[in-house]
Parts: sequence; C-alpha cells; structure tokens
Amino acid sequence: MGKVKIKKKETRIDMTAMSDVTVLLLTFFMLTSTFLQKEPVQVITPPSVNEEKVPDQNLLSVLVSPEGKVYLEVLGSKDSTMRSETVRADLLKKMVAEYKKTHPSANLTFTNKEIETFSKLNAFGVPITRMSEWLKMDTEERDKALKEGPGIPISMNEDPNNPNEFQMWIKAAYNSENEELKDAIVKGGGIAIKADQSTPYSVVNVVMDNLQTIKMNKFTLMTALKVEED
Amino acid sequence: MAIKSKSRQKKFDTRIDFTPMVDMNMLLITFFMLCTTMIKSQTLKIALPTNEKVEKEDQNKVKQSEAVTIIIDGELDEKGLSDPSKGKLYYYDGMPETENLATTGESNMKQIQFGTEDGAYPAIRGILQERNKEVVKEIAELKDKWKKHEFDKDDDKNTEIFQQKRKEATNNENFKRPVVIIKATPNACYAHVVSVLDEMQINGIVRYQIDRINEVDSAMMILLQGKELNK
Repeated sequence: MGKVKIKKKETRIDMTAMSDVTVLLLTFFMLTSTFLQKEPVQVITPPSVNEEKVPDQNLLSVLVSPEGKVYLEVLGSKDSTMRSETVRADLLKKMVAEYKKTHPSANLTFTNKEIETFSKLNAFGVPITRMSEWLKMDTEERDKALKEGPGIPISMNEDPNNPNEFQMWIKAAYNSENEELKDAIVKGGGIAIKADQSTPYSVVNVVMDNLQTIKMNKFTLMTALKVEED
Repeated sequence: MAIKSKSRQKKFDTRIDFTPMVDMNMLLITFFMLCTTMIKSQTLKIALPTNEKVEKEDQNKVKQSEAVTIIIDGELDEKGLSDPSKGKLYYYDGMPETENLATTGESNMKQIQFGTEDGAYPAIRGILQERNKEVVKEIAELKDKWKKHEFDKDDDKNTEIFQQKRKEATNNENFKRPVVIIKATPNACYAHVVSVLDEMQINGIVRYQIDRINEVDSAMMILLQGKELNK
C-alpha cells in the first residue's frame, strides 16, 4: 500500500524559482550591455596592452576599411542638450558651410527631413555632393550604397587652406556647437581611428597625415585588449 | 447543493505554471546575449608632430647617442592586405651610417627577429630594454614593492602610488633614456605599428615619435635585404 502512495506524488516542478533567475539575468543583460552598432565595414582592431577605455560620448571615430575607404561616426554627449542627434544635425550644417568656403558655387541644401534622417545615422561616408541623394534612399538601399560607395573622399593633402572633404568634416566637428566634443578633440581623446589589424600602414598613414595637416595632432587609435604576462 | 459547489471552487489550484514564462525569458536572454557587446574597445593615445616646416635653428635635433630608429616593414597578400605573419623589423642607433653604402652596401642597420605571430616582440623588447635599462630597473624595483604592498596597505592606494612613482621614473631626467623614432613602410601591418607603440609603454619609454620613412632608410633597407638574400 505504501508503494502505491509514492507513485502518486506529483512530478511537476515549480518553475517560479527558475523564472526569478531568468528575469534577474535578463535585467542584468539589459542594463550592462550596449547594442552593436551597424557599421559599414567590420574591422578587427589590433591588440594592445593599453587599458584606457574608448569614451562612450563626445567621440568622432574614423572608421578605416582595409581598402582605404573612410567613414565617420559621431557620438554626442550623453546627458546634456548636445545629444548625438543634435550634434549630427549641427555637424551637417557646419559641413555645408565649410564646403562652401572652397566651392562657393556648389548647390548644397538639405531639407529638414534629410537632416533628421542624417541625425539618426550612426555612420556615414559618402561624398557631400551625393549626400542628399543618399539620405533620400530607404534604409536597405542606404546601407548598400554606403558599403559599395567610395567613402568620404580623402587623399594626401598637405595644404591646410585647401582641405579635402575628410578634413572639412573634422573641421566641422571641431567647430560644432558641442563644446565638450571640441574639448575632447583638443585634449586628444575626441578623435579615434578604428582600423583593421591587417590594414597596410599606407592606408592609415593617409588618415594620420590628413589630421596632421589640419593640426589635429593628438588622437587615439582603437585597440582590443591584450594581456601581457610579466 | 449550492453551498457544496462553492466550497469546491475554493479548493481550485491557484498556482500558475511558470514554464512558458521561463521559456520566453530564456529566449530574451539569448537575444540580448547575441545582439550586444560587453567588451569595450581600448584606446592608445598618440601625438604626431606638426606638419609645419620648422626653421633649421629651431629644430630640436635628437641627441645622436640616444636615438634609436625602428623601421617596420611588411608584405601585402593578393587581397592587398598586410599579412600579420610576414612582418620585418629593422633598427639602427643614432644617425644612419652610409659611408660604405654605395660600395659594399653596408650600414649600421640591422634586421631583427620579429617575434611570434601573436604580436610579441621579444627581440625588440630586449634591445629597447638594454637602451632604457636604468628606467626598466627602477620600474622593476617599484613593481616588486607594489606586489608586496609596500607603498600602502590599501590596494587602490598602493596601485595609485605605484603608478605615480612609475611615471616619475619614466620621466626622470637623470636616467639615460632613449629617444625612439618609429617609421613604417607603406606595406607594414597596422597591428605591428600598434605593437611597437605598445613596446614603448611596456618598457617605460616616454620619448618616442612616429616619423615618415625617408630615402636613406629605404636604400639601407633594400641593400640589407639584398645581402640577406645573397647569403
């Protein structure tokens, strides 16, 4: 008789505790993580023993593909009026002004909608003359155009009075209304070069040289952590 | 009868089955784990000299006895990328000695072992440490004290004082410290340039500069390579 009673015992497990654990884990992941940003090229940054973290605000990253295409990513301040969107919209306006200095006849106007689209984009890298056309595309087409396009026009240039488009963008960022970004650029933490580890030095050198010409001598290189034993 | 049925309803099981909830949470966790990054990139700060032409008299010529020039070279693969496993390193002390370059192809440039593929540079490290030995020795002593918690009992404070002292040691004018000039050829691998910059930090060298490669360096390198091939 006792044996029969044992068999009748309930086999269902109480899942409440399990649920508690998963909710906790979920909360942890949601709070600690940042989403992967969509980038036009995937790069593996070179390993380094440096432990200084990349700032997560007020940063202008120069993404360099191994073939030499250059893209820019702009991050604004996290907790002021100068959020990423505001900074980007301002940057585009400043860039137009900068471009008109050397190309007075250029017809560059952006509608409010285009500026809004631009302010929501993480990375950009098309010639300014084609920017308007690029911003009108839908998301998928835009990503494709970004990947296959030429990137931001850049070439060896040692004449600071006749800057190329890349230099204009950097200048525009420097002149932006975001004082914190300007401050970061002056101190050297505001511009970060993100390049793949197998990029030939000639490619990186073009970017460095361009920065040097417009007197942005201090900048950082993005690296991945390597542990050095000693 | 009515009363009886009511009492039956009260006995109804109020526990909820949490299994679907757990399933859903697990799915969400998986999603977050796959779509997010937790590791943040690190940065390496560098400062380049200005591009402006400096007047001859103003030029702060590096003392010859202190200068070490490191040249990083690499090879491109068929895709036009620099192969991290095929790097070469050259170095020379002081000014390039080119008297015999035209006749015998000899100069004071030497090629050194690149190290292992993962970017460690045992050979260049040895050379740099040899030239910076006073600072390296001081740092080693400081590190020893730091490990024994001699600066302060408190962990954070101990590290803070250690780092302060380390900085002082690397900037100490009384020590014989080298000035390293880093040059890279167009084919050099970016990872190698970063690794060499790393060596500066590992060996406590604060005076280093990235410079452009010039004709003399290229000529010395080509002739040295030729000699290596003839061997």
